[in-house]
Amino acid sequence: MKLIRRVLGALVMAGLVAGALRVRGKGGTPPQHGGWRQLDLEPSVDGR
Amino acid sequence: MTADPVATPTDARRIVVVGVGVVGRRVSRLLGTTVEHTGHRLASMARLEPGAAATGEFGPGDVVVLATGAPHASTAAELAEVGASVVSVSDDLGDTRQLLELDDHFRQSGATLVVGAAMSPGLSGLLARHLSSRLAVVEEIHVAVHATAGPACARQHHRALSGRAAGWHDGVWIERPAGSGRELCWFPEPVGAHDCYRAELPDPLLLHRSHPDAIRISARMSATRRDRLTARLPMLRSPHPEGGVGALRVEVRGAAADGAREVVIAGTAELVGTAAGATATVFAEAAATDELPTGVVVTSDPSLPTTRLLERVQRRGIRLQEFTGVPQA
Repeated sequence: MKLIRRVLGALVMAGLVAGALRVRGKGGTPPQHGGWRQLDLEPSVDGR
Repeated sequence: MTADPVATPTDARRIVVVGVGVVGRRVSRLLGTTVEHTGHRLASMARLEPGAAATGEFGPGDVVVLATGAPHASTAAELAEVGASVVSVSDDLGDTRQLLELDDHFRQSGATLVVGAAMSPGLSGLLARHLSSRLAVVEEIHVAVHATAGPACARQHHRALSGRAAGWHDGVWIERPAGSGRELCWFPEPVGAHDCYRAELPDPLLLHRSHPDAIRISARMSATRRDRLTARLPMLRSPHPEGGVGALRVEVRGAAADGAREVVIAGTAELVGTAAGATATVFAEAAATDELPTGVVVTSDPSLPTTRLLERVQRRGIRLQEFTGVPQA
């Protein structure tokens, strides 16, 4: 019984942490600044 | 093996496109728009049977674009014997290793072998070299590719996700299971962000040859959960005749002349077959006009006129883009 309580407690804690990270975390947030433009093909330093 | 001339024969050098798939047809079409200006003769054929190069049909000065599925190494070796130059679009890692070993063969015959003249590898190398020229020190090069060209390319994509991904990491070659190492890569619009994974791609091998001082070189390809789940099984259904809009992203990290850390990123969003065809076309024309050195040439080679070649790729309708700004959350 003690073991089951501990397992359930661990699962609840893991769920709470995962939920907090899901809501508050910043991992995987896409870039908000910058974009794509046509490549500048000015001759480079070596002249090629 | 039947030749199908699509331009008026002249005494000029001949460019032969082998392969009538998505890439082969694009190369033939693009070359067909310029042969009149360059004076080259153009022919296309579906395939090149083993031993065909020795029948006398090919000779010194000919340029053969191998636009079929891999392997190309044995055919290229035969063509080297008769003095023909070869432009290979192979994206198979093992085949690429064998092609790189043909350097002596092509040097001795005074011909050129362009290894990996497609989108990735190919255009990826040109972009890597261009971006490298902006930095004083190049430390890392990372390539990511999204989507495929024709069925042969799709089958190679499938194989690449089940193999061993080679990467140059802190000065040593490492091998990791393909399908591992997820990274969210941002491609030019309209493709946008896709999860990319390590795959058995030849880009690190070719880029390390031209950037021996870089300490990390990797290549990834986009894949879905189903792609990764079924990678080790036979393809469950026939591949599409042609994939949708694909994309390429090349990221080079290093330092500027003043020591500041720099990250430069370039890429394109285009049908993979079209981008591969344009790259192969540009290298075929460069080989035919003796702009390339003899022996094995990779597209990121520092001795190539990279800017000129990229301009030609652009003139064939490929919109090359660079990422500006600093990614911030």
